Amino acid sequence: MTAMNDSKKIALPSQKKSSGFEEKRKILFLILLTVGLVATLLPFIFMVLTAFKTNTETLRVPPTFFPQNPTLDNFKKIFSDPNLPLLRFYGNSLFVAGFNVTMTLLTSSLLGYLFAKFEFKGKRILFGWFLVMMMIPSHITMIPSYLILAKIGLINSLWGLIIFSAVDAFGIFMIRQFCETFPNDLLDAGRIDGASEWQIYWRLVIPQLGAPMATLGLLSFMGNWNAYLWPMIVLQKNEVRTLPIILTWFNSTHTGQGGLIAAATVLIVLPVLFVLVFFQRWIVKGFVTSGLK
Amino acid sequence: MTQSVKNKNFSTSGLTKSKNRFVSQIVIPLLIYNSLGIFILGWAFILMFYNYSPGRLGGPILGLGGSNPFIGLGNFSEMFQGISVKSRLFLVSLKNTLVFAFAVLPLNLVLTLTLAYLLEEIGSKFKALYRAIYFLPVLMSSVGVAIIWLSMYDPQAGWINAIVRFFGGQPVAWLSDPRAGFLGVSVALWAVILAYLWQDYGYNMVIFIAALQSIPQDLKDAALIDGATPWQTFRLITIQLIKPTFLFVSVMTMLSSFQVFDIIQVMTNGGPGNKTQVLMLDIYKNAFRYQNMGWAAAESFVLFLIIMAITLFQMRVLRTDWEY
Repeated sequence: MTAMNDSKKIALPSQKKSSGFEEKRKILFLILLTVGLVATLLPFIFMVLTAFKTNTETLRVPPTFFPQNPTLDNFKKIFSDPNLPLLRFYGNSLFVAGFNVTMTLLTSSLLGYLFAKFEFKGKRILFGWFLVMMMIPSHITMIPSYLILAKIGLINSLWGLIIFSAVDAFGIFMIRQFCETFPNDLLDAGRIDGASEWQIYWRLVIPQLGAPMATLGLLSFMGNWNAYLWPMIVLQKNEVRTLPIILTWFNSTHTGQGGLIAAATVLIVLPVLFVLVFFQRWIVKGFVTSGLK
Repeated sequence: MTQSVKNKNFSTSGLTKSKNRFVSQIVIPLLIYNSLGIFILGWAFILMFYNYSPGRLGGPILGLGGSNPFIGLGNFSEMFQGISVKSRLFLVSLKNTLVFAFAVLPLNLVLTLTLAYLLEEIGSKFKALYRAIYFLPVLMSSVGVAIIWLSMYDPQAGWINAIVRFFGGQPVAWLSDPRAGFLGVSVALWAVILAYLWQDYGYNMVIFIAALQSIPQDLKDAALIDGATPWQTFRLITIQLIKPTFLFVSVMTMLSSFQVFDIIQVMTNGGPGNKTQVLMLDIYKNAFRYQNMGWAAAESFVLFLIIMAITLFQMRVLRTDWEY
């Protein structure tokens, strides 16, 4: 098959005649792409380099590219700042993201499996409800959700970021699609062997769901880790805040100290960014197949 | 024979029973959880007909009534009369949101489709690396993006003005000059549009790449054999075949840019002089800073209607009736 394709490509008149033109075109494309690449990378590089500059250097006009007297002072200052216990904020973010990802994976796999493989009364209505939920933007539910949290005393509690996030409509759809391809024979074989329905879900279904669960988990983690508006509303005291909210707080309380802000951004944003880059392939796959963002 | 049939009946009914038990063990807690969702939606819907503020002591049910009076469509009629301060601010936010979304959409589509196409054409070992780097800002928290661009736009020490000075131009206070404008849109709004594009383009790009990869090579080859130029092939074949993706991507881009919040809240917080005040920001400020929650709920509903209308409109316009 590949051999056939190759021979077809060689036989193409346009590619045979104008390979010089093709070459030039490719080089032009590569140059254009590299311009885009530089435009994407430079802001990152500026930020990282700024983190190593002294404060007087960050105010210089025109700005310097490389730090003239590279210094770790900004980082030292942040680590010794009692108002900025980074580990605590990492812990807050990790707690919320970890809890919500686990819940999303559990409920999505369970409900996706249920909608794919079981018939019951009211299934269509229930499914329709999740379709509706997917269309409702979060700003509609934001105000009543806040009022409920205020009533039950969960403002300034990390649980406030958790109780409304147990079920994710996108996740259900994604897993349901995947579960529909399962052979029923496999599940029935489990039943004949005397496994209970929960055992079948746990021992037969879950192990098959590795790929979609990994994708869903990554997307969910990213969404939770980078969430800004809702955590900002719920968490009004610094010590319970998650990383993005702490970063804006730090930014607004240290105006004019570019090096310090850059160092804080590097410490807060970059570590997890590197982790996500590592998993990029799965994230892209998830975006492309589900359209979730 | 009868024996075996009986046995079978017995076992399937046992199976159905355990299946039903499984279903009800999941569905019953789910229904309880969903009723919370219905309650929240209902509350959001009712709120917009009230002049509600959580600070005031209202009636017994959800604090509605009493000093939080029912005003029917009062919020909406006030909104579109544009006489009161908050309604004028609403109209400004509505306008800014429209400008933002309709500027982002074409810029984003042209940029992402071009990049995806170029990346597909070079077809080399660079491809994976380029794509990975283009995708970096998508993975990043929008707060991080906003802070990076804040320093880029700094009027004194920022890089944008360094470039402007290098080419002999006058430095601009990108995010704080309410009078500076370009094409009738304030420079501050253009500045946040640029930052937003930078953050977001990798997302549409990977989706376009996936669509481009799914186009059968035969079709393009056939066009080339018939003597079509690369541009003709692109226009007449590629564009036509990725129409469904085009629809999907434009709807998603519209939806997310109509709800833009993070990047603007951090970069300008609506300033200078409300030039970058968008609907989400106005909703947030009204609800949680000024405690005008009835008003904010009504604004949310307007935004929701716009979002629905765009989705339906785009689905009609860009519908394709054939497959390949």
